[in-house]
Amino acid sequence: MKKLIYLVLIVFSFQATLFASPDQEASLENQHKLKLINYVKKADRLNQKVVDHGKFAVLQQEFKRPQDVTLACLSCHTERHTEIMANNHWTWQRTEKLNGRGEVSVGKKNILNNFCIGTSSNRESCTRCHIGYGWKDESFDFTEKENIDCLVCHDLSGVYKKESGMAGYPVEGINLNVVAQSVGSPKRANCGVCHFWGGGGNNVKHGDLEEAMNNGTKKLDVHMGTDGEDMSCIECHITENHNITGKLYALSSENKNRISCEQCHTTEPHSDALLNKHGLRIACQTCHIPYYAKANSTKMWWDWTSAGRLDEHGEPLHEADADGNHNYLSIKGTFVWDQNIKPSYFWFNGLADHFLITDSITEIPIQMNTLNGAYSDKGANCKTTGCSKIWPVKVHRGKQPYDAINNRLVQVKTFSKVKGEGAYWMDFDWNAAIKAGMEYVGLPYSGEYGFVETEMYWPLNHQVSPASQSLRCIDCHTRSEEGRLASLTDFYLPGRDYNAWIDNIGIILIILSFIGVVVHGALRIILRKNCLHD
Amino acid sequence: MKIYIYQIFERFWHWMQVLLISALAITGLEIHGFFELFGYRNAVSIHDISAWAFLILIIFAIFWHFTTGEWRQYKPSLKLVKEQINYYITGIFSGAEHPTNKLVYNKFNPLQRLIYLGLKILVIPVMGLSGLAYMYLNYPNQGFQLGSLDSAALIHTAGAYFLIVFVIAHVYLTTTGHKPLSAIKAMITGWEEVDEKGARAMVANEMEVALKITKARLKADGNKSELLDTALAETEARLGVKKEEKFRDVVANSGAGYFRIDPNGIYEEVNNAWACLYKFKSPEDVVGKHYSLSRNKEEFEELEITFNKVLKGETIPHGEVTRICQDGSIGHHTVTMTPVVKNNQIVGVEGFILDTTARLLAEKELLENKIRLEQLLNDRDRK
Ligand code: HEM
Repeated sequence: MKKLIYLVLIVFSFQATLFASPDQEASLENQHKLKLINYVKKADRLNQKVVDHGKFAVLQQEFKRPQDVTLACLSCHTERHTEIMANNHWTWQRTEKLNGRGEVSVGKKNILNNFCIGTSSNRESCTRCHIGYGWKDESFDFTEKENIDCLVCHDLSGVYKKESGMAGYPVEGINLNVVAQSVGSPKRANCGVCHFWGGGGNNVKHGDLEEAMNNGTKKLDVHMGTDGEDMSCIECHITENHNITGKLYALSSENKNRISCEQCHTTEPHSDALLNKHGLRIACQTCHIPYYAKANSTKMWWDWTSAGRLDEHGEPLHEADADGNHNYLSIKGTFVWDQNIKPSYFWFNGLADHFLITDSITEIPIQMNTLNGAYSDKGANCKTTGCSKIWPVKVHRGKQPYDAINNRLVQVKTFSKVKGEGAYWMDFDWNAAIKAGMEYVGLPYSGEYGFVETEMYWPLNHQVSPASQSLRCIDCHTRSEEGRLASLTDFYLPGRDYNAWIDNIGIILIILSFIGVVVHGALRIILRKNCLHD
Repeated sequence: MKIYIYQIFERFWHWMQVLLISALAITGLEIHGFFELFGYRNAVSIHDISAWAFLILIIFAIFWHFTTGEWRQYKPSLKLVKEQINYYITGIFSGAEHPTNKLVYNKFNPLQRLIYLGLKILVIPVMGLSGLAYMYLNYPNQGFQLGSLDSAALIHTAGAYFLIVFVIAHVYLTTTGHKPLSAIKAMITGWEEVDEKGARAMVANEMEVALKITKARLKADGNKSELLDTALAETEARLGVKKEEKFRDVVANSGAGYFRIDPNGIYEEVNNAWACLYKFKSPEDVVGKHYSLSRNKEEFEELEITFNKVLKGETIPHGEVTRICQDGSIGHHTVTMTPVVKNNQIVGVEGFILDTTARLLAEKELLENKIRLEQLLNDRDRK
């Protein structure tokens, strides 16, 4: 008897220690043993200036044009322009295989989205974010090296700024000597000036890339937080010879030149093997980016239908919501913004399709950039590109104009400096704007337009939260409708899924057996007097 | 009277199963999404650890059952299953006698045997295999893989419900022993309270097992009396007889009889116990005589057929037979006969007999009681 009690005790304490351990380890991991490769921590780095551009005579000359700065750069950094010219920050296009559709050349140059629709016919405005000077129409010479804008990426003075609507030229009157002498490796603000502000406002597009991250906390982004490692973009987006690694599937289609969490964190970052195993089918981002748009709102809905309403003087309107985000603009329509958003979740294997301007509409809402993947996708793609994994995604929805007869999306001319060229933002005439846009890209327009619902998918990679705030098991392993994976139903997820028949029959059997025991036992007690023997 | 029916390993095994199955069931249902108790990650850890412990325990238990011969306890038999079911449905309320007194045939009654066996070969492998599939085929990236977890998970969940229902019924049925708690006490201490009749039968049963085992261990021409002594000692040990003085006699008195007969049907050797059962004064009175001396006419013919079969090499397991003793009285026993082989030739038949007279008498008495009771009831009804 005693032996038995000891045994039970031993077994219990054994289990108690074992199941207590993951938690303890998790907190230990937070404090001390973050597993890292290919990365030197801030505290361990030598911080010594290796070059002072202020001392170079060539940068002390009087710069008449911004192009002269470029030529000065190239006088020492010879041939670097060839690297830039191969970079799609310069070309705004790349030739890639669309998933299942052969090779197509797509990029910011010609793709459609469901924000400002497309850059064609609006270059002068859109190329404010091009790393060049003067791309205002198709006459732009992509082989002219002096047109490269080195400063927008390399300025560390904070003084440099591109002018709006000026095809990438800087604001008049900037002291280019100060800017040129400040240059160095790009910082968050350099990348951010375009990548935070895409879509014409802070955090409009990505939801996980925005102004606040220039000077944020670890809570906002555990990598970039100034109270932590304070990492710059290129510490992950490792760049050699101006080839910037990293892909975003708003534009990309192929699984190449990507960066991954694993490049520093390894494929086994947790001390808990079960969590590492989850990594086989779940992207790190899924658990570690529990919310996005954590500091400022992002656009979730953009409805062009309502655009064009003018005030009594015929002037465009600006209306803002309680948070100060504009929810109506005559030039753009109606918006819905949101903050601290739970991502949507998709299977994704690194391959995407795009809805091209030449594609016919077959389903509504139109998927602007279909992310390829499924639970069952673990065969062909596993061998080359890895299995589909569950990925957190911002889905941006909206309504935008399309050609109602030809059943295609359309390019719209929105920008012009003058009235009468058909630009929507000047003339507020859809037919004219579409006609001008379609003419620019050389495609037919029937003259009949309508508005169609579209969806665009933005896989999330930034605003990674500290480990303590990552998702918990029961955020997914739950029957609740609120479960993170409640709508990703093409597979069996323990804790969420069950077979109603088995459960019901099982529970009924258990209840019946209880009733049976109670009734049988009661009868035995009541009828005990019938017993013949002791 | 108490006898020792559960050995230390059996009890350890049983209570470990209780612990592990409860842990598995509770954490399993948490994983299934029914409630939050340990926390999901902890539930999974406990479930995984308990599952491994359970699998290891199963392996030990299989090993133990085969090395000790205890697997025989689970040999299914349909005999008396119906009576057993009827007993639980009606008899138990009127205080009827257990149709399969726990110890008459076996530690487990036929219904139990069927259910435990079913449990062992169905639920445990099913739970184990579906559980392992759940563990190892769940992140299907390469090699053998499940399309999705659902098949494994659904089998596993269904099995879990069965197991839980079984546990409820099982726990309840343990209260239907000699006294409500005697079965549970037995599983804790190893000693079960039984009546004397039961104890006797238990001894006969244990002896049979012990004899078979010792016989298998001894060479064909080994010393038979030594064999018997070993079997007796083993039975004593297994039943914990040493602790119960009164019980010694039971074992001693139910000592098995041993006999050897040559191909012509002449007794070559019998032991004291044999002589005793047949009420001869000593073995010498029997040796040299033909085996017809111990049967009436029909039974003799039956015996002759059996005897000839054994001479051809068959082993005939215990059938129940009626013997005529020296003084003309009648007794009952079970008998096992095996051929005696020397230099690859069958040179005779040997075997053991185990007395069952007491049990048959008891059953007869029971029957008479029943008839008497029915008569009484009928009489009362008529009045
Ligand atoms: C040797 C045996 C067993 C093995 C190897 C095993 C293994 C597993 C595994 C791997 C899981 C998935 C969750 C996890 O990773 O822990 C699971 C779930 C589960 N187990 Fe077991 N288990 C065993 C025995 C049992 C027993 C005896 C019961 C109940 C009496 C049970 C009930 C459950 C239940 C209800 C689930 C949840 C199923 C679902 O919702 O999908 N398991 N088991």
